[in-house]
Amino acid sequence: MDTRIWAVGGGKGGTGKSFVSSSLGLHLASLERDVLLIDADLGGPNLHTLLGMRNGHPDLGDFLTNKLPTLEEAAVETPFRGLRIIRGTENILFIANLNHYKKLRLLRQIRQLGAQDIILDLGTGSSFNTLDFFLSANPGIVVATPEPTAIENSYLFLKSCIMRVLKLYMDHYRIPDLHQKMLDQIEKNSQSLYSFFKSLVDADRSYGTILYRALRNFRPCLIMNKARDERDVLLGRSVADVARRYLLIDLHYLGAIPYDERVHSSLRSLRPFYLDHKDSAAAKAVREAAEELAYSVEFSHRTPPEIRFPEGR
Amino acid sequence: MIKRIEDWNCYELLNVERTASKEEIWEGYQRALATYHADSLATYSLVTEEERRLILERIQEAYQTLRDPEKKKAYDLSLLKHSFYYSPKAPFRKSVRKVEIEEAAHKPGFWEKVRRLFSRREPPSD
Repeated sequence: MDTRIWAVGGGKGGTGKSFVSSSLGLHLASLERDVLLIDADLGGPNLHTLLGMRNGHPDLGDFLTNKLPTLEEAAVETPFRGLRIIRGTENILFIANLNHYKKLRLLRQIRQLGAQDIILDLGTGSSFNTLDFFLSANPGIVVATPEPTAIENSYLFLKSCIMRVLKLYMDHYRIPDLHQKMLDQIEKNSQSLYSFFKSLVDADRSYGTILYRALRNFRPCLIMNKARDERDVLLGRSVADVARRYLLIDLHYLGAIPYDERVHSSLRSLRPFYLDHKDSAAAKAVREAAEELAYSVEFSHRTPPEIRFPEGR
Repeated sequence: MIKRIEDWNCYELLNVERTASKEEIWEGYQRALATYHADSLATYSLVTEEERRLILERIQEAYQTLRDPEKKKAYDLSLLKHSFYYSPKAPFRKSVRKVEIEEAAHKPGFWEKVRRLFSRREPPSD
């Protein structure tokens, strides 16, 4: 079966990642697709609440503590047809600090799940766990809001992803000098990523080819959530343009989701907003974004071919 | 190949097609100005003041070039001159695979030409 892994992430909390994940899941399920939502927010899971479900077992923690032999068994049915969920666990302290081997096992099991669409709802921050989940998915969606804090954290998240991609690439092709150079210049001298790229290409044009090859498969998408006016919609376009120039990545702008007061009241009544207000502009924007990605050939490859996660860090 | 900002051409700077009309160029210019304006959120925390100054200068230059029909024409010509030129007939194809060489038109060699000159018979076909 052709499985597509989606990841919804972004550096800042409260931008609406879980809202986007649940709405995407509900819409894809309504298209007669077999959809599985995974609450990969290891530090603060709450995706089940957005679908009006209570916390309970089985959950992700049961798989990670070996109570369940496979991840498939942790999936439970939701009240909505075609949509299943793997809930996050309440046992946060143990799960949030997932070790490398547990993470690799989880990623491997996610790829083996029997569902057409697997949607990972990621947590905040740019920890290795979050980045690796984001990078193993295609498409990866960054959710931002039109606020300086959210934009700053989104750039930070993208920069961390790029550094991770470059590290994996350099490890794979055994270019340790370049990796050391990157660490020295960016982490110690706090040089910006763009000026690092620039100095590298100035020193040797062939480095440009290496960077291009490493980054060409990293093609994240951007959604500007809670847009209040036309300016906020255009901001998403500008962010994609700036990322293309200064981070050298092809950030694909999926559009803006308009701000809607009723999201809050839907949440209070434990009902999914997407189903209660199907005709709202926000629901329409989610539909458009989901369909653009679901039927595009570009995102049909699950794992970028150049990225292989190493056995040790 | 990755292009640095210094290498972006006027159309890429304004994010418009090469066939863009005057209105589209104006819109592209306005959008680019809004993106790199000092108060713009899009560049927040990513672009330094120095980089912002550089790109704004380049955007201004690009718009001044493209708004004037004469300058635009000269610029378009210069772009054409600098773009790579691939000869339609490759006289010496070194790196093609065997199949392509066989598909290429037969070209008589030097000795074959000499033989054709001095013999009445048709050269043996190979």
